[in-house]
Amino acid sequence: AGVLAAHKITASSPDTDLPTVSGLRKMGVNFTVSNKDTVKSSDVLFLAVKPPIIPFILEEVGPDIETRHIVVSCAAGVTISSIEKKLSTFCPTPKVIRCMTNTPVIVREGATVYATGTHADVEDGKLLEQLMASVGFCTEVEEDLIDAVTGLSGSGPAYAFTALDALADGGVKMGLPRRLAVRLGAQALLGAAKMLLESEQHPGQLKDNVCSPGGATIHALHFLESGGFRSLLINAVEASCIRTRELQHLADQEKISPAAIKKTLLDKVKLESPSLSVASASKVSLFTNKSKKN
Amino acid sequence: RGHRGVATEGAWPRVAMEASELWVGFVGAGRMAGGLVRGLLHAGKVPASNILASAPSDKNLDAWRELGCRTTHCNLEVVHRSTLVFLATKPHILPGVLEEIRPAVGSHHIVVSLVAGVTIQTLQRLLPPWTKVLRIMPNLPCVVQAGAMVFSRGSNAGDEEAALLKSLLSSCGLCEEVPESYIDIHTGLSGSGVAYVYLFAEALAEGAVKMGMPGALASRIAAQTLLGAAKMLLETGEHPAKLRGDVCTPGGTTIYALHQLEKGALRATVMDAVEAATNRACDMAKD
Repeated sequence: AGVLAAHKITASSPDTDLPTVSGLRKMGVNFTVSNKDTVKSSDVLFLAVKPPIIPFILEEVGPDIETRHIVVSCAAGVTISSIEKKLSTFCPTPKVIRCMTNTPVIVREGATVYATGTHADVEDGKLLEQLMASVGFCTEVEEDLIDAVTGLSGSGPAYAFTALDALADGGVKMGLPRRLAVRLGAQALLGAAKMLLESEQHPGQLKDNVCSPGGATIHALHFLESGGFRSLLINAVEASCIRTRELQHLADQEKISPAAIKKTLLDKVKLESPSLSVASASKVSLFTNKSKKN
Repeated sequence: RGHRGVATEGAWPRVAMEASELWVGFVGAGRMAGGLVRGLLHAGKVPASNILASAPSDKNLDAWRELGCRTTHCNLEVVHRSTLVFLATKPHILPGVLEEIRPAVGSHHIVVSLVAGVTIQTLQRLLPPWTKVLRIMPNLPCVVQAGAMVFSRGSNAGDEEAALLKSLLSSCGLCEEVPESYIDIHTGLSGSGVAYVYLFAEALAEGAVKMGMPGALASRIAAQTLLGAAKMLLETGEHPAKLRGDVCTPGGTTIYALHQLEKGALRATVMDAVEAATNRACDMAKD
């Protein structure tokens, strides 16, 4: 998206063999195996490890956190207060922002929300918003909505991929070659989403606009309704949201086995396309997990 | 006796004056006919004394006399003394009745059939070739002037006749001209549809009773809820999905309830119902 120059980005990971690592290097991102180095060379820190690992990362880098740092956690179910509590033993007023994004940031069509912590200023939130808006939609929310966002747009792409797979199957069943079926299905959803975002109209109205009386579409929709399509989607969003809350609860209790820590590998890493550009003054850090070196 | 509407193209007939001069007859005096006539009378379009109804027995006719209408047991008399003749018999009786009245039907008559499942083609076949025929499908709430009616015209019925009918019956509710193929769909949607609403109202009330509300109160509130929601739909012109969304506060009671309805595939079930009734109407028409 061109908001940051690659050389201002640092990423760390214990495992240097991962394809994501070489991918980052190719973009010109600074790479290190030391989380501490990452913290020192950054102003904005993205914590991109799996949720159970967060407490351990915070323990490790806590001493190096200074007041200038903005710590951004993307870990599902990890509350601002839990992060602030951990960091407060090292830094009296840690700036913490919690965010929830989704995988289509890769193609700059992400959906991101963020909630600011006790000591994060309005400008800090706006800085993050600026960064994340470069890779899609980004808006601020109250923290208690983040679990719902996880259920909807965090997991949402998976629902869409499932739907697209099935739509393609339908196309194949009716005679289309697979590649074409996938392409058309994806384009249909993309187009519909774009229409909805650009329209003032309710999706129900847009649906009606497609359904000519007695036509093909209304026949198809009847099948969807008979199968409880809508309720399935509602169930899915609800299940994802509830699970997120469960995970948060588990994380609060810090119930994590050492074995699990060793096994976890490089997780979601933020990728931003490199280019020489006018960049924000801060440097962005990409954290990955750290496995205990034993 | 019985002036026809004088309508210039695009203009309504002068119905106010003309309806009072109109002689209206009903062959058959059952529930549906009763609903229409109550609507007409309530709107004051046609004086009761201008209305003549025939039926084989007095069972139904008593109610008509109480309204001030004239009654008879002779179908021919209705045709002789009326310009606008509503056919409101049961379907299996109609062919016999048409054969009976055929000799008396003239080119000045406007014949409007309320008979379910009898097509315009059939009507025109059984009546003289010059007859102006229209077919209407009303629904029961015509009785309270909140009906939904659709009608279609036969080959000899023109704009004047359509306009007259629409003007007269708008007093009973919504009245729209449609292609004849929509009439069976209207049956499934609105003719039978009234029963779906009664079912829904009953279920709503039952839910309330389960939660501790007395039945009579629950029923009244259920009915008022349906009335109010329908009124908002009609008056705002908004899409029902939008109005639904307006009621749903995030994480609130409504969205929880709607989820239950979706789990029960209510939408599909309702679509199934409309389809079943429409198909049945088509099948019955073929018999």
